[in-house]
Amino acid sequence: MGIHQAVNSRHDDPAGHDAPDKVVVCGVSKAFAKGGGELAVLEAVDLTVQDGQFVCLLGPSGCGKSTLLNIIGGFERPTRGSVTIDGEEVARPDPRRVFVFQEYGIFPWASVWDNVALGLRHMKDKAAQSEIVQRYVDLVGLGGFERTYPMELSGGMKQRVEVARALAVSPDVIYMDEPFGALDSLTRLQMRSELIRIWQAEKKTILFVTHDVDESIQLAERIVVFTARPGRIRDVVTVDLPHPRDLGSAEYGRVKNHLYELLGVSHTI
Amino acid sequence: MSPAAPIALLVAVVLLVVGRRCPERLQKLMLPLGVATIGVALWQFACDVYGATIFPTPGDTLLAYADLLKSDRLMGDIVASLFRVTWGFLLGSATGIPVGLLAGWSLRGFWALNPIIQGLRPISPIAWIPIAILWFGIGDGAGVFLIFLSSFFPIAVGTMAGVRNISLVHQRSAQNFGLHGIELFRRVVLPAAMPQIITALRIAMGVAWLVIVAAEMVGMESGLGYLINDARNMGGRYDLVVATMIIIGLIGIVLDLLVRQLERFDEVRWGYTKR
Repeated sequence: MGIHQAVNSRHDDPAGHDAPDKVVVCGVSKAFAKGGGELAVLEAVDLTVQDGQFVCLLGPSGCGKSTLLNIIGGFERPTRGSVTIDGEEVARPDPRRVFVFQEYGIFPWASVWDNVALGLRHMKDKAAQSEIVQRYVDLVGLGGFERTYPMELSGGMKQRVEVARALAVSPDVIYMDEPFGALDSLTRLQMRSELIRIWQAEKKTILFVTHDVDESIQLAERIVVFTARPGRIRDVVTVDLPHPRDLGSAEYGRVKNHLYELLGVSHTI
Repeated sequence: MSPAAPIALLVAVVLLVVGRRCPERLQKLMLPLGVATIGVALWQFACDVYGATIFPTPGDTLLAYADLLKSDRLMGDIVASLFRVTWGFLLGSATGIPVGLLAGWSLRGFWALNPIIQGLRPISPIAWIPIAILWFGIGDGAGVFLIFLSSFFPIAVGTMAGVRNISLVHQRSAQNFGLHGIELFRRVVLPAAMPQIITALRIAMGVAWLVIVAAEMVGMESGLGYLINDARNMGGRYDLVVATMIIIGLIGIVLDLLVRQLERFDEVRWGYTKR
């Protein structure tokens, strides 16, 4: 615990957060069996995320950032170390913390309405249930598409349904694993600004995995930069820019240069 | 040589040439009709060349329908065949879908059931005819049992494959939202497998319709298969044989169209678009 707290005090706070710790990752390593040997994917990862923070996990493909998110989400178990949320160890997925997948986790056999209502299926008060579903369908701009099935929607619209499905259960934490990776670049930009708008309105803790440097600077308060496999935390960069962020500002460029340096790639081609 | 063959050929050419210029929906009707008419022309031509007396010409076959309708057994035989197929198919679905769901979802269920299913599946239902007659006698019972066997295996295997193909991301979504037990089956497993289950139902219906005719030729005393056999045995009425075969084909098309209606539901249409 001593080491972990040291890490904590080193990385956190510059953004002015005095919110309580939400997600605490402590000494997490993950190795997969591979042809008799072991393939180390993650090594000794320590990370603390405060309540309401927007954190990006940034790194090259295969660096284990998605594996870390799956461990935090409870879909996989770490080989060593532990993850606690609100002081409780994570052992399995939990409806209070919702995942948004890149490859469309919404159900194609259910309408937009039924997808968004999934997490509210046990609500006794049906009027209150419809009110919530309608609110989130409207929030992601899909009003009028309630009876539509996902196959008739564009990629961006499907991803909005998934965001609405996640928000409808009023989760503490939202995990997003390259959620906009399959979208075209214009839709991606639009989805990012909508996500920021929703995050500012709802104040959820968001952990967002990406390999896109620009995406991380546009979204995150803190960017956790990973090394290549086996993934370790290279550094945590704080982005102290107010939203809406000016993509042409000097500070934006400075953060970008810094991230490229950390990732070990040249900024010129 | 009769003028029938050239006339049929002319009709076929007209159907194809005019059909090409028609709107799409009409084309889809006229083009296959044109090809079928070419087949009829070739059939007539072959009869003319060989001067066959036993094998019926298209005209003989058409006249045979008058005899079939007059004898009033045609409806009875159609109903007999459809009765066996319907009940056997319903029994096969009612057992094949649950067995497939179990073997697809539970790994132990898969280990226990899959080798048995794969071992019994290659045995032609025709090979079961002696046993079917031994157990159920000559009649509907044996027919229903054979159709049950014909449909059970394709349906069980298709359902199993459908469940095993549920994508990881949907499984994880279900886990994340706390679905388990009956709710998991109703909301995720069954709907996710449904497109493949419907495809399996189509395949099963096709096999069932093939098998019932064969079964009725060997071990039953009514039905369209029996009608074919009877027509041959009663003085070699091959015109009735061919006429009945055409009826079997047409009913087969209708049965497939009926099962295909299931593919139009909103809940399953996602499974039939290219992925």
